[in-house]
Amino acid sequence: MIVTWRIGLRIGLVVLAAVVLQVSFFSYLSILGATPDVVGVVIVALGLLGGGVIGAVCGFVTGLLLDSVLLQTLGVSSIVLLTIGYLAGRYREGFEISTSLAPALLAGGLTVLGASIFGAIQLMLGVDTQVSLLVVREILVKGLLAFLLAMPLYPLIRRILRPALVEGAGGSRVLSPGRSLRRVRGRRRGGRLTGAVPARRVRGGTV
Amino acid sequence: MYRKQVRRRRAVLVALIVVSLILLSISFSEADSGPLHSIQRGLSAVLSPLEEGASRALKPARDFVNWFDETFDARGDNEALRDEVQQLRAEVADAQSAVGENRQFRKMLKLDPADAALAEYDRVTGRVIGRSPTVWYSEVTVDVGSSSGVAVNDSVVTGDGLVGSISDTTRGSAVVALITDHRSAVSAKLLPDGPDGIVEPEVGDPDDLLLDFIDSNTEVKEDQVLVTAGWSNGRISSAYPYGIEIGRISDATVSGEQTFQQVHVQPFADIRNLDYVQVLTGGPARPGVPG
Repeated sequence: MIVTWRIGLRIGLVVLAAVVLQVSFFSYLSILGATPDVVGVVIVALGLLGGGVIGAVCGFVTGLLLDSVLLQTLGVSSIVLLTIGYLAGRYREGFEISTSLAPALLAGGLTVLGASIFGAIQLMLGVDTQVSLLVVREILVKGLLAFLLAMPLYPLIRRILRPALVEGAGGSRVLSPGRSLRRVRGRRRGGRLTGAVPARRVRGGTV
Repeated sequence: MYRKQVRRRRAVLVALIVVSLILLSISFSEADSGPLHSIQRGLSAVLSPLEEGASRALKPARDFVNWFDETFDARGDNEALRDEVQQLRAEVADAQSAVGENRQFRKMLKLDPADAALAEYDRVTGRVIGRSPTVWYSEVTVDVGSSSGVAVNDSVVTGDGLVGSISDTTRGSAVVALITDHRSAVSAKLLPDGPDGIVEPEVGDPDDLLLDFIDSNTEVKEDQVLVTAGWSNGRISSAYPYGIEIGRISDATVSGEQTFQQVHVQPFADIRNLDYVQVLTGGPARPGVPG
């Protein structure tokens, strides 16, 4: 992904919209006893499109914003979201996204992981009361809802960030064979290329 | 080049994790008036108009989605409610005669009305504009804050009963820690003359509260009503005034050689679907309660 200030602004607006929608819409919904986690899905999508560093940075900033809006313990959401953003980005850098279901499956799986980490941190910080086993059900249902949410959200975010993708439409890989990073950089000056290139190709010497 | 990229990526990740952990430990140990909390409150104040606008605009969509869930639940509740109505009709007849007698006795004894304790408080009505997305923090944000007289530890109610208490305020908004939040503990009294206990939540189950410290030998009946105890010993007091309805006993079990019984309480207030709440501000000073 090439990060220019315009793309940064778009990412910022996407993150802000996700946080506002989460606290004023999705958090009110109770589907099978769980609340949909739209913020997690957005961070996974950003990680998948931008790579590990962008996923981690977006996750960190979004976590700070979420904790500040809700006046919760600062840093808890940041750790969770930067972890899932980074893992989504690393998946993108290391593996081929071969099916359209892959982002949704990844969003579901990483949401379950994120909710589990969040719960573990809360338990470490101290919970004075009993913890119901329904928490486990809540985590699993959250994963299922994230899977469903990612189906429309991932294409939507990819569309919003399309100008930043070196090869936007359709391709799971950002660079097509035979196209070097240097040529792309030459065409888009002022931007910074991060996390978009498969590791083995870069090692092969195109840069 | 590749190695440099990998090193940079790892450095960014480690730096972000370290910063998060530092923020977490400072935020966890810092007093509410500390600089980090002040920054948080400032950011929250800046974003609260946005939250409020989104909350208003999205209410119809929210109600539409929740309608399905509520309809599904209502089908199950219908039969139970029919039985309850029959039982309540019988109880209403008894209660009406008791109310009449009660009025007469109060006149005779020159006592204040039953809700005298709450009459001393001003009620500030607030709209719920934000909600925590996890079961670990059971909190809502309301659009009234310190500029409306709302202060930390003020009790929050709906027409149905107790909802929680104010845990943090900005000028234009306040955070309500609900009675289902894991940090909540409400001293409560079983009506009519039952023992006092502590109402605590069970994390992950917002429809169920636990009444703790009720001796195994004490008889607790299903459907007994629970209100805030509002005790005070002159130096320390409960944060909640006496007499706010909390819920009704749904189940009580005594297991083996346990000292206390396991008492489940169903809250009166619909904690998951709060639109408007009332904050009880002012009122008599409660020794030992900051705010």
